[in-house]
Amino acid sequence: MTVAPDPAPVPGPVSSSGATPITIRGRSPWAAAWDSLRLMMRDSFALIGVVVLSVFVVLAVLAPWLAPYDPFQAMMTEAGRLNRLSPPTAANPFGTTGFGQDVLSQFLYGFRVALMVGLVAAVAVGFISTLFGVLSGYFGGLVDDVLMRITDVALSIPTLPFAIVAVALLGPSIENIILVITILFWRNGARIIRSAVLTEKERVYVKWARAAGASHFHIIMRHILPNVFRVVFLWITMSVAFAILTEASLSFLGLGDPKAISWGQMLNTAFSSGNLRTAWWWVVPPSVALVLLVSSLYLIGRAYEEQTNPRLRRR
Amino acid sequence: MSERRGEGDRATVIEAEGLKTHFQARSGIISALVGQKPKVARALDGVDVTIREREVVGLVGESGCGKSTLGMSLVRMYQPTGGRVRYRGEDITRAEGRALKDYRRQAQIIFQDPYSSLNPRLTIGQIIEEPLIIHRIGNAAERRERVARAMNLVRIPPAENVDRYPSDLSGGQRQRIAIARALVLEPKFIVADEPVSMLDVSIQASVLELIDELSRELGLAVLYISHDIATVGYICDHVAVMYLGRIVEEGPAEEILAEPLHPYTERLIAAIPRMDPAEAPERHELTGDVPSPLNVPPGCRFSSRCPFVAPLCEAVEPELSDQPGGRRVRCHIHDDGAARLRPDLARPVAGRVTHDEDVGILADAAS
Amino acid sequence: MSLAELNARLAAKPAAELRVDGLSVTYNTARGPFHAVEDVGFTVPAGTNLGLVGESGCGKSTVVKALMGLLPEGTGLTGRALLDGDDILGLTDDALRDVRWNRIALITQSAMNSLDPVYSIGDQIVEAIRAHEPVGRATAWARAEEMFALVGLPAARLTEFPHMFSGGMRQRAVIAMALALNAGMLLADEPTTALDPIMQSQIMARIRGIHAHMRRSMVLVTHDIAVVAETCETTVVMYAGKVVESGPTGQVLGRPLHPYTMGLQNAFPRLPVRGAPRQPLISIPGVVPNLASPPPGCRFAGRCPFAADLCRTTPPPVAAAGPQQAACHFTDRAEEFRAAAALPETWRKMRAAA
Repeated sequence: MTVAPDPAPVPGPVSSSGATPITIRGRSPWAAAWDSLRLMMRDSFALIGVVVLSVFVVLAVLAPWLAPYDPFQAMMTEAGRLNRLSPPTAANPFGTTGFGQDVLSQFLYGFRVALMVGLVAAVAVGFISTLFGVLSGYFGGLVDDVLMRITDVALSIPTLPFAIVAVALLGPSIENIILVITILFWRNGARIIRSAVLTEKERVYVKWARAAGASHFHIIMRHILPNVFRVVFLWITMSVAFAILTEASLSFLGLGDPKAISWGQMLNTAFSSGNLRTAWWWVVPPSVALVLLVSSLYLIGRAYEEQTNPRLRRR
Repeated sequence: MSERRGEGDRATVIEAEGLKTHFQARSGIISALVGQKPKVARALDGVDVTIREREVVGLVGESGCGKSTLGMSLVRMYQPTGGRVRYRGEDITRAEGRALKDYRRQAQIIFQDPYSSLNPRLTIGQIIEEPLIIHRIGNAAERRERVARAMNLVRIPPAENVDRYPSDLSGGQRQRIAIARALVLEPKFIVADEPVSMLDVSIQASVLELIDELSRELGLAVLYISHDIATVGYICDHVAVMYLGRIVEEGPAEEILAEPLHPYTERLIAAIPRMDPAEAPERHELTGDVPSPLNVPPGCRFSSRCPFVAPLCEAVEPELSDQPGGRRVRCHIHDDGAARLRPDLARPVAGRVTHDEDVGILADAAS
Repeated sequence: MSLAELNARLAAKPAAELRVDGLSVTYNTARGPFHAVEDVGFTVPAGTNLGLVGESGCGKSTVVKALMGLLPEGTGLTGRALLDGDDILGLTDDALRDVRWNRIALITQSAMNSLDPVYSIGDQIVEAIRAHEPVGRATAWARAEEMFALVGLPAARLTEFPHMFSGGMRQRAVIAMALALNAGMLLADEPTTALDPIMQSQIMARIRGIHAHMRRSMVLVTHDIAVVAETCETTVVMYAGKVVESGPTGQVLGRPLHPYTMGLQNAFPRLPVRGAPRQPLISIPGVVPNLASPPPGCRFAGRCPFAADLCRTTPPPVAAAGPQQAACHFTDRAEEFRAAAALPETWRKMRAAA
């Protein structure tokens, strides 16, 4: 830690001086977020993660324009037959599926589903986890007991069986998959955020604020949330990855939304049509994309944790 | 409380009477079912304190003696479980809502650790401004002016420092910021809980001096809490020594530091290392540690460790008795009231050691 | 080997002599090199106590770490530290194992860090003894019991775990452990800082008693000059990584030559003497310079009320007055400085000028 030179003191007895023109400002949350992003980018792995993620977002947004065909459209050969299982050609750069659909188009639309599921589920998970974690950790006592018992019950739900049964009962649609993912993942987040809040709550400045007469709302907004935001962000990053993987798993098991095309579903169709081993062009793109997406999220999360931890950073 | 010299017509700012703060240990479900009473920690057990305008009262004792509990109970961070706290004559022991918030404007606290008492994510300006926001005082311009004034009071030039973060400052500067944050509301009463014990010796004096000056020039009543009885001599008019939730000795600082009466105060002062080893006093080894406030010994609370302990001490707790020089002490050696009521029990005598740890074991063990 | 034999063997160990010479330690940080300790030298004659005094950031803990071989990997380390003639700086792990505990033992500031929470304290002492001496468990345990008696702890509590001890008792246990092998040199790094005043004085009394009895050598590292005054024959004062003054304790603290020592002495709170005028408490303005880019001249120049231009440009030579040495350009004016340094105005004026 560097120590600043002692500021020149005001000589003479203590007395209130004339007005010194000063302005009071702090960093806005956006500036703080930008700063930590910049810090994070010093880590080359994180940089790779951010680049991959940005490319994926661009592809997801532009998918309808980039995709050469409608993903459900069946290709016909010149002979008028279904163009099944064609290896990559100029017309179909990634080949075709067992039903004659263009793999590239399906693959590109897959970006949209993956990112949408990830983002929406993560925001929902982040919100509920933060709400439960902060209320439970900050207020303690009865609130904590009630909220944490609810969390305990939620934690006792077995992940995959619950997801399969719930989606099967509710019907396979993107909305229901997101709902199920949210129900499954808020619980761990609530625990993690609660323990972060418990640490923050014991800070001397929080005790001071209580003694100064600050309201709970004031303390939570000014002292607790900004200091647990790191944990929340980390949890959201992880949740995006979990959500994408869960959606892929459910779709692979045949519980995907039939009206949307996701990478899990592509793998499922490849598998159930018995072409998993032969039609590599059909299997490799979604698999590689999934691995890249999830690992880039983990890289970002890890770097963020390291770079924004004041203890690790200051040294 | 006894009369003090030179207090003149200074108004009493804060006054505690028989103040008790007990904490209930959390009991398990099973012991609750069995009907076992939860254990009670008698952290603060009947304490009287009066602090006037422009007065710094020192409160000394070892950790766990209840001195911080007293400070926090006076500013209502803890809810006292018995007794009374009056702020300028008004009973605020159980004040709530509006009345409590008003009191919180008048009574401020400064903590020991200058590193964790400031939120690292806020600028110095934001930190000092916060109490004003909490109490919705002034508009932005007025708040700025008050912040600048408070920073000048603690001799941190506002213009260069308002945008800095706590991590840019040294320990002494941070403690000044904490003091400025306490002053910005223009309180009448400040609890300084070990404000210099985490600072380097070479800068302690400047913070002590500041507290002293602020008390005199702003007319503040200050409770200065410290385990270091030597620093108390520099800024306090009046000193109270606490042991296990009770005041055992109090009076003018100079009297107590120069000639302590209570064996505990005596030991506390003897413990201070001397620059001239020839001046080092005889130091009796005390047995064990401070007992837990969950398990207060019967009779005199210091009897379990006192080198002069006698049967009377273990049976009857002494009262605070008036002594010459305007001080009071809670010890049977200096008060024969209890001894007259219980002539059957031997009374302790000054200087007659009855209970001393065997230091001679050194000779046997290491040869 | 029986307990009597073990005791005789350990008692035969002579007190060690330590000569530190030109010790410099440079930490490599993300922001570049950090010169925590530069050219530090002192000698601890066998059977004496040396007090290493200084405030936070002066490098005294780094000196301890260097002597115990506890510096992080990749730290720049030069100089020598001769323990009875053998250089103990930069030893391999194997060589260190033989030196630590056996020849040089450490009493740390936070007892909790030097005790393993999952073993009983007795087991830890026994393990330390048996790592260096070919004795059975029973003998080692008996030795541990004796060490407990020595520091004033009941032997029955040897079977307890560190968390069952209070802070003062843990500190005593750490001392017992450090004494178990009767190492010739003890390094006590702020041994009482975390404790209450009464416990501090009791632990220091124990350490002094043990020292007087066992005649070991000791380096006592502390920020408290009065503890040094009561305990040590020799005093070394450090400031910003360098030794500013050293010599016999009575002279260094009684008639300091260096303005920093003078300031430290006057900043120390004292008890009032009834009737006598109160000596004002003085604070040294300013803060310790950043050692990533230390100032070119004397490191104390920025806070020294007597600093001249020379002080800001040229590092001071070490001037000796008998056994007392000080790194100051103006040791010849020490008498005049001492009188001025006792006045708060001297330091306040300098604060105003800063």
